Amino acid sequence: MTGSAVTVSGLGKTFGRGPAAVSVLSGLSFDLPAGQSLALMGRSGSGKSTLLNILCGLEQADAGTVMLLGENDSTADWPCLRRERIGVVFQEANLMPTLSLLDNVRFRASLAGQPETRCQHWLEVLGIGDLGHRFPDQVSGGQRQRAALAMVFAMAPDLILADEPTGSLDRHTANDVADALFRLQGETGCSLILATHDPELAARCQQTLDLGHRSGG
Amino acid sequence: MTVFTALLSHYRRHPWQGAALAILMLLATALWTGIHHLTSQARDSLGQSERLVEVREQVQRVDGAELTVEDFVLLRRQGLCVMPWLEVLPEGESRRVIGVDPLAALCFQGQGDVATFDGQPLVGQPFLDIADAAALMAAEQQLFLILAAGEGPLPSAYRTAPFALSPDTGQLGDSFLLNLDALSVLVLLITGLLLRSVYLLSLSQRRDSFALLTRFGVSGRRVRGHLLLELLCLAAITLIPGIWIGQALASVLEGGFANVMEGLFDSRQLATGGNHWLVPALVMTLLLLAVAIVDWLMPMAACAMPGSRLRPAAAALLVLAGLAGVWLADALWLLFVALALVLAGIGWLMPRGLSLLSGAGVRASAQPGWRWWWAEFGVLCRRLALPLVALQFSLAMVLAVQALVITFEDTFDRWLGQRLSADVYMQVPDGADSALAANWLTEHLPTADEGLWHHVQRGSGRFRYTQAWQDVDVFAVTPVGPLMTGWGLLEQTSQPWQKLASGAGIMVNEQLAYRLDLSVGDQLELVLAEQVQSLPVLAIYPDYGRPAGEVLIAGQSLPADYDLTFESFSLSPASVSLQTITGALRTLWGEPALTIRDNRAIQDLANRVFEQTFMLTRAMTVLTLALAAVALLLMGWVFLSTRLWYFRLLEVWGMTKAEIFRKLLLLALAVTLSAAALALPLGVGLTWVLVHRINPLAFGWSLPMAVYPVFWLELLALALLIGGCIALLMRRQLGRPAVRPSVTGSVTGEER
Amino acid sequence: MRLRWLTMMLVCGLLAGCSEPGTDAGFAGLGGAAGPEDGFEQPGPGTELVFPRDFGPHPAHRIEWWYLTANLETDAGEPLGLQWTQFRQAIKPRDLETEAPDPSGWPLQAAWMAHAAVSYREQHWFGERLARGDLGQAGATVEPFQVWLDHWQLTTGDSPDDWQVQVRHGQPDTDDYWAFDLELTVRGAPVAHGVSGFSAKSASGEGSMYFSLVDIEVTGQVRLGRETLPVRGKAWFDREWSSQFLKAGQQGWDWFALHLDSGDKLMAFQLREQQGQFRSGTWIPVGGDPMALAPGQLQLDPDISAGPVPTRWRLTVPDHGVDLMLSAPPGNYTNDGLYPYWESPVTVTGSHTGVGYMELTGYSGQ
Repeated sequence: MTGSAVTVSGLGKTFGRGPAAVSVLSGLSFDLPAGQSLALMGRSGSGKSTLLNILCGLEQADAGTVMLLGENDSTADWPCLRRERIGVVFQEANLMPTLSLLDNVRFRASLAGQPETRCQHWLEVLGIGDLGHRFPDQVSGGQRQRAALAMVFAMAPDLILADEPTGSLDRHTANDVADALFRLQGETGCSLILATHDPELAARCQQTLDLGHRSGG
Repeated sequence: MTVFTALLSHYRRHPWQGAALAILMLLATALWTGIHHLTSQARDSLGQSERLVEVREQVQRVDGAELTVEDFVLLRRQGLCVMPWLEVLPEGESRRVIGVDPLAALCFQGQGDVATFDGQPLVGQPFLDIADAAALMAAEQQLFLILAAGEGPLPSAYRTAPFALSPDTGQLGDSFLLNLDALSVLVLLITGLLLRSVYLLSLSQRRDSFALLTRFGVSGRRVRGHLLLELLCLAAITLIPGIWIGQALASVLEGGFANVMEGLFDSRQLATGGNHWLVPALVMTLLLLAVAIVDWLMPMAACAMPGSRLRPAAAALLVLAGLAGVWLADALWLLFVALALVLAGIGWLMPRGLSLLSGAGVRASAQPGWRWWWAEFGVLCRRLALPLVALQFSLAMVLAVQALVITFEDTFDRWLGQRLSADVYMQVPDGADSALAANWLTEHLPTADEGLWHHVQRGSGRFRYTQAWQDVDVFAVTPVGPLMTGWGLLEQTSQPWQKLASGAGIMVNEQLAYRLDLSVGDQLELVLAEQVQSLPVLAIYPDYGRPAGEVLIAGQSLPADYDLTFESFSLSPASVSLQTITGALRTLWGEPALTIRDNRAIQDLANRVFEQTFMLTRAMTVLTLALAAVALLLMGWVFLSTRLWYFRLLEVWGMTKAEIFRKLLLLALAVTLSAAALALPLGVGLTWVLVHRINPLAFGWSLPMAVYPVFWLELLALALLIGGCIALLMRRQLGRPAVRPSVTGSVTGEER
Repeated sequence: MRLRWLTMMLVCGLLAGCSEPGTDAGFAGLGGAAGPEDGFEQPGPGTELVFPRDFGPHPAHRIEWWYLTANLETDAGEPLGLQWTQFRQAIKPRDLETEAPDPSGWPLQAAWMAHAAVSYREQHWFGERLARGDLGQAGATVEPFQVWLDHWQLTTGDSPDDWQVQVRHGQPDTDDYWAFDLELTVRGAPVAHGVSGFSAKSASGEGSMYFSLVDIEVTGQVRLGRETLPVRGKAWFDREWSSQFLKAGQQGWDWFALHLDSGDKLMAFQLREQQGQFRSGTWIPVGGDPMALAPGQLQLDPDISAGPVPTRWRLTVPDHGVDLMLSAPPGNYTNDGLYPYWESPVTVTGSHTGVGYMELTGYSGQ
């Protein structure tokens, strides 16, 4: 894909009203070319998660515009975008506890309209091919995050939004998961926006945006 | 910070969980208080109604002359408490009205109450003020003077005679009350389930806090002790408002009915007793302790029964043992114990069964979306097991009560209709020759065109079946005609009435048949006035009035020297008017005062008798169902809230809110509908046990059992409504930000 | 429907217990609007008393009563109070000349009610009876003078001044049974209250005809449970009739009839209105003519510390040197019938000593 994956201009978001109002984003602008990766840095509460939520349509900005995967934020069919083109990875709890790892991947792929036959392949690519029949509470945190990545890649996304995907893992496991993420992002050519506190992880992205400096407090 | 405050701090962070807990406990208390209140009201109301129809004394003149207002005044001025009762058949009407004097009725119950007669309101059909009744153009009218119980000697010109408004309903009422008791025990069980689910909810919400405390070295025993203390504190706060709400609810239900029912305007009739709080408070506290203490015993039970596979087996064993007990029990208490076993087993099995169903569903679905749905269904059924079982039991109870009440109403109505099949009945005065009357009637009413009649004679006799001789009541009818042949029979040979009329056999009442295990065709030796006859049983007829055994024979089978205790004529005049008949009989007997009672008026009265009791009973079941539904709603809401993250995950994965709501709705409907579907067989079974096992054991007769499929559909619709409400509650939740499970640390939300 | 109406009338009307103070119907429904259109006669300042006619019933008026209170002593000198009252409440007015309806139709032109009570040793026995009029079950006649309801009755002996009053309540030979059988000797002429017998009951002129016999000697027997007590003492007999007794807005009344040891007698009452009260009374000096007391001539002050029903009062009539403390004995003397009210003997202390009776109606605590 050529051109911009995400173009944000003059974005603003304020929570609350009156004197108690907290503005987490104000006049934020950036551009992420397709296939590139962007790290979002900043202290807790600086608006990283809010920005990710806006970028997948779960929240709406108060000001500014977002162009995402060629669609305008006000006219986009957000559920369709999330189903087929935007993959989201959270720090934890990305899997349905009632489904096995493989069923989770198949569920996600089927929603995106991707063939379920490739699901086992993605588990294998992420190194947990023999754990597909296990349930999320029967595997380790690192294995759960690998499964979450398998789900995201199984949907063949154009954009991955990852919110501290390694935040709850030990350094060694975190590195393994991050390696897998960047390797597959490179291979599939999708764009990646990654919110993180970790400067090392941020350094692996092509761009870095520090919200901590921009936030009004 | 003590362990106790550490435990409580959970509710400071999650006030809504605490509130839900308190509300559930409050509701459970309100439920039982309300039921207790309604049950005692139903009991009182039945007692009052029965007092109305019980036999009293009336005053008659020794010279046989008709009573007048002068007689009333004379007796009152002697200080005797008598009340006028003027039965009037208005011209051109078929129903009699009863004129009463509410002022004169005051002495029947002491001070402070007007217009009631021994607690029964004297208002509404068929009652009128006596002046209005006397002013009617009357085809017939007769004044009775009813004497209060225990009144002193009458002047010598008067004598007393029995005065009954309707046949004695005796055991029919007792039977109803026994069933009511059985049902309140069931309500107690339901309340226990609700409380237990509250308790478990409070545990599951705080598993992390407990784990933390354990890590800090606090023993599990101590945590449980503090939990119990916390529960008792909660009870102390919720018990009093719960009791108050329960009483208020019961009063509203009663009040609503009282307003609906014409003739119950006197609110004192339904005055709320002030002393109904003690029993509920005590029972609820004990129940709460029992609910909490189960946990102390559970570890032992778990040790005794390792492995989850054994538990369903144990539950199934419980159900089977209970069923066998229900089938074989020969004492009431055994039957109740057996019933409790069945219910406990079913309560235990139901969530397990639904869970199995969910597993099968998961395996059967190829699509991951459906696999997810079935798995969620299983989790929901497990998490909501207790409130679901409570709902199931409530639905079953509603079903049983509905069937029971309709059965009682129908039975009572039909039985009265049989017993009072003639329009009027006329008691044969002492010393009058009934044969004269019978001859006159035979001559002047030869066919139904002129009118129907029969002569009833009652007395006693002895009979032998197999070995021992027994006393039995004898009920003889001449001729056996259309007034009798409409009776419903429980068992019969071919042409039983013709055979009875020809003297070729006898009929026995159900009580006698049950007690001696008699069936049609059995030969009985009957001794009447020292004359032995051997006769076959032609039929068994239902008889709800009395515990005594009774045989029905044709009048001509009575020996000439048979000693009668009671004689009457039943009459349905047609072309020959009642006046002609009574005129002729007065002349024949030389008795100017004949006691003639209008059976239709009696039937009206008797039907009114049970109406309020039934209303209150229905109110009781409505209350149970409503509160079980609210409990399920609350529990469902609390539990689903903990899984909110995962429903939001579906949104992140691109499902629209509408799609998610549809999934949720389907889930909630499936869960409540399963409970309702499982309640149907339970309810029918419960009805069967009440009607065919408890009643015969207690009273020796059974009621006809009926099922009402339309009502089942209504219950299923109700279950769907509850499910819909849960889903709607969840839709509101979906609009709010979800907290990721790792943040709350709640294990519950991640259950699979 | 008529039966329901009658019941409602009884329950919420004259005899009812549900009239709250301050309702427009006035206490016990006695304040119902009266007017010429309803056919009842209403007495006024010009109405005269006629004897013996006025001892008998007044069917053209809506309400009337015969009322006897007695302050007695047992042989042992213990005080015993006793009351007998018979009320008539008309539903339909009737002239004296018009013949009574036929009893065989169980007519309902009037309802009668009788109350009787005995107060002794801090206990109170009370009974109530109801009847419809014109049957013969309840009524009153002038010659001979008699008033009855069921077996409770006031009858006249050989001399018109010798009366008997008999009441029996409950089943004889039980612990709940009580009864009295009294011989009364009437002395003195009837005392007319107000203006020649018209006793105003409000500043705007509503009122009733009212006279009393204030000097009656009593002997007789009172039976309480299984105990028979010979008694003697004095009684006070009131006759009162009207068609509108209370004005709308009047909440109840406090009434006192006192036998002072000096031989003087005093009747005083007040009707409590939303603002203030209407007071009146009669001072009957020994050997002198009765004197009506205008509202400003007497003062009545309850001791409200006693409870919801004031059982201690201060009564002053400065013009006659009267300053009395009236106290009920300890105990609850509520007549707990269809409409509850307080009825107790009182002892008199202060400027005079003596005994008497007190009736208090329309208190919420009753």
